[in-house]
Formats: sequence, structure tokens, C-alpha cells
Amino acid sequence: MKKGHRDSGGGVSIDRRRFLALSAAALVPGAALAALTDGIPVARRRLLQRNGYALDAETPLDALTTYLTPNDLFFVRHHWTPQYSGHKGWTLTVDGEVERALRLTAQDLRRLPRTTVTCVLQCAGNGRGLFQPSIPGVQWKYGAVGNARWGGVRLRDLLDQAGVKPAARHLHAFGSDKPPVRVPPFHRSVEIEKVLADAIVADEMNGEPLPALHGGPARLVVPGWAGEHWMKWLERLSVQAEPQKGFYMDTAYRYPKEIGPPGVVIPASDMRPVTELVVKSNVTEAPPRARVGSAVVLRGFAFSGAPDIARVEVTEDEGQTWQPAELDSQHDPWAWRLWSFRWSPSTPGRRTLHVRATDSQGAVQPRVAPWNPSGYLHNGWHPAVIEVDA
Amino acid sequence: MRRTRALSAVALALAALLVCPNDASARRGKKKKSAAKTRVVVAAPRFDPHLPLLGTKLAEFPPGPAKALADQACLACHSVDLVAQQRLTEKQWGAEVTKMAGWGADLPADRREELIGYLVKNFGPDAGPWEPVVTRPAGR
Repeated sequence: MKKGHRDSGGGVSIDRRRFLALSAAALVPGAALAALTDGIPVARRRLLQRNGYALDAETPLDALTTYLTPNDLFFVRHHWTPQYSGHKGWTLTVDGEVERALRLTAQDLRRLPRTTVTCVLQCAGNGRGLFQPSIPGVQWKYGAVGNARWGGVRLRDLLDQAGVKPAARHLHAFGSDKPPVRVPPFHRSVEIEKVLADAIVADEMNGEPLPALHGGPARLVVPGWAGEHWMKWLERLSVQAEPQKGFYMDTAYRYPKEIGPPGVVIPASDMRPVTELVVKSNVTEAPPRARVGSAVVLRGFAFSGAPDIARVEVTEDEGQTWQPAELDSQHDPWAWRLWSFRWSPSTPGRRTLHVRATDSQGAVQPRVAPWNPSGYLHNGWHPAVIEVDA
Repeated sequence: MRRTRALSAVALALAALLVCPNDASARRGKKKKSAAKTRVVVAAPRFDPHLPLLGTKLAEFPPGPAKALADQACLACHSVDLVAQQRLTEKQWGAEVTKMAGWGADLPADRREELIGYLVKNFGPDAGPWEPVVTRPAGR
């Protein structure tokens, strides 16, 4: 029997047998509410605010336990407070190296062929707060990441309407968020090959209209690439021969071509743009205590810039030996894989388990994330500490 | 069939209690009340009402002679949180202040060192731990 799944309204659609179970649960209101939402209990439904304005907030790991991250629990990353225009009067302009410039309303966008893509969105700086020595910027720990079903229009279909000229190499993206004083605007571009292959203009998130907090009315979705490419509050797309210029292309969001020693600044000429995500896994659920001989279950997620995860493994001896975790059957290209691992402790004491993932292209999650001057793409092994009683 | 209808009625009664009034999908759900497979759409988010709403709890800079200067220089663009969570050396804070002044922060040139000293004192490498504000999500 099919289990409860998310409905287009963001609630949960349930079949009859499950409804009977839930009716029984209704006798215990707290449990019923958890069951009737999306499996995430009320006590876990919170966001960790790292900037009161412009808003930055991460999701606690214990709320990242479902294949699709609920919209309201999805991490929030703003460079500055945007103009929330809503749909009324909103238009998307497409111009530059095209045969015909376009100006689309929200309704125009919805008339184009629709698609959905389920994939991970992760801020490039997720995990910056775990690097040593410290790096300036939002000190994200684990939760500037989520997995959602994005609905919208393929860029290749949209650009077909405009007719891309041969000179086109980069898609420049402009949102409605305008910086204060002399702060440089958050302007970005994406290579046209990636745009035409995988990217969409999304106006839906998990079956709901894209929330303003997440870039509504429309945003870019660039599967497998870090969040700075996923321009929010889209107003204009411009096809150009050259990449976008400015602080957020030439200084920020750059990664060393070759990793250097921690804490050492690297010249700009030896840096390249951050693009693809790197292989990573996290533990979302692990019991704080266990008992020798009694099995416990650890759970988490794994993802990569490669389209899929090949395996997730757990070590209880600092990486000398590894045991395979079980991968959940749900997966889509560039989405995360939920995993679980059943562990029977054999000795008492404080035990530290580590998890690592290997992606479908053979990349293995490293023990220590490579330190880099802006603190991007942290992916070191994630520990789970469990006190084992005799 | 009668049992199915009875279940549907109970399901719809429960849905009526829980569905968001504006939820279009709920209306779609009601249209399917006669379907053999009962589908109920229920309200999704429930939060601890005691938590502050995301973006509403704003911290203050710690007291000190340069607090007003930090307010003036930093808070036009971002909250205290963004500064207070960082643990940077004097060199790193100096670079941040230079960047922000170049971007238009309201900081008189002759008070630059005073601000850097305040930041290092309160948010230097040896400052105590900082925890993010646990908030209630803003909802849909």
C-alpha cells in the first residue's frame, strides 16, 4: 500500500487505512499533529536564525529527515531584504543575444511546457562555521541545505522562444533585491551549456507557488550547482557572450584551483568560480545513548554534484573499517539520498561513529574538508557521538 | 460502499477542522469525497507558539563606548547577529571594516580603529560561544 505522500497543497494526502491509523492517533493530540503534518514533530519545526535581517536561517538537522524538505522549514538565505513584489505586475524579461526579446507575465510563464525537478539546494557557504581557522561570513553549520521538488519551465524551452544567437555563452540573472548604499548588487551568470542542459525557471516549490522567502514569484534552479546560481526574485535574464562581472562573480564565490594550507590567503588569479556541489553526507538522527547488544538506527542524507550517490558507509574505528548503510529507494538526479544504518554496539563507553558518502562518479567524502579562504563546500566526515551503556 | 461513505464523512469532518481556509488543494480534496479511495488534505505546519517569529528577535550590540558607533556603522544593512556569530582576528576584522566602509557604511575615517577595537574585544577569537536564535518559521 502506498504510504502518505505530499499533496500539491503542501499537506499530506492519505489513503483510507492510514486515515484509520491517524484517527486512532487523534486520541493523543500531539502525536496526531506530528503525523498529520509531514512526519516532522512540532518540537522540531523551527529555524535557526543567523541574521535577523537580511534574513539568514538554517534548518536544524533533526528537521531534515524527509525526502522533500517542507517549504516552511527550508533554509533561508538573503543577501539583503528584497522587494516582495508578488505576482501582480511581475514580469520576466529575456534579452541580450537573442532574436526576440521577451517580456513574460506569471500567466505567460505558466503557459509554457511545464517540468519538475527534484534536487538539492545548498548554500555554497554551508559549513563555513565548521572550518578552522575561522572565516568571515555567515557561520552556517549543517542546515543551509534542503531537497525540494521544483516546478517550472525549462530554460531551453524559454530560450527557444527567444531564439538564442550563436554568440551566447552565459546567462546573466537579475533579481529584484537591491542593495543599500554602495554595496555591489548580487548579479550572477551561469554558463549556457549548464543552463540549456539542466536549469529551469521555477515558480513552484513542492507543489505550492514558490514562497517569497524562497524567491517567488520565480527563481532559477540549477541542479547540482551551489545556491548562488539559483537567482531569486527573478526579473531579468540576459544572454551574453561574456560572464557577469562584479564582486559576486570576481571576488566572492571563488574556490582555490589548488588547495593551500589553512589560513593562507590565495591570489585571485589562482581561484576559480564555485559551481558543482561536492560529495557530502550528514547524520540527522542518532540516539544519544545505546546499550551493548541492542541495535539502534542512525539516519541521514547524502548528495553530490554528481547526479547520484553510490554508497554511504559508517565507521566506528576512525575509518579503518567501513560498513555499508542502507540507501532509501527514493532518488532523482541531484536529489539527496536518505540513508539508514543499524548499529549494535559491542563495547560500552563513549563511541564516535563517522559517516562518509561516495558519489556515482567515484568521488569520496574526505575526512577533513579542504580549508579555503571563503569557507565554501564544507564536506568533512560528520560524527555521531553515542554513549553506550554496558 | 456505505462504510466508505461513513469514513469519508469522518475524514471530511476532521479535514474541516484542520485545513487552512485558503488552501486551494483542500477544495480539490473535497471534490474527491465520493472517490473510492478517500483522500484528505490536512493543514501542514504547526509550530511552538512560544518561539519568536523568524526575523523578529533582534539582538543588541554589547555595551561599551563604541556601541553607538557599531550601531551606526553596521545596522543599516544587517542585524547584530551577523557580526556577533563571527570570531575573527584583528586583521580579519580590519579587512571587514575596510570592505564595509568602501560599501558605504556610516563610519567616520578617524573612528575606524575604535570600531575595530570594539569588534576584536567582543567578537575576537577567544570570545565565548554564540548560538543562533531558535525561531518559528515564517510559514507559507
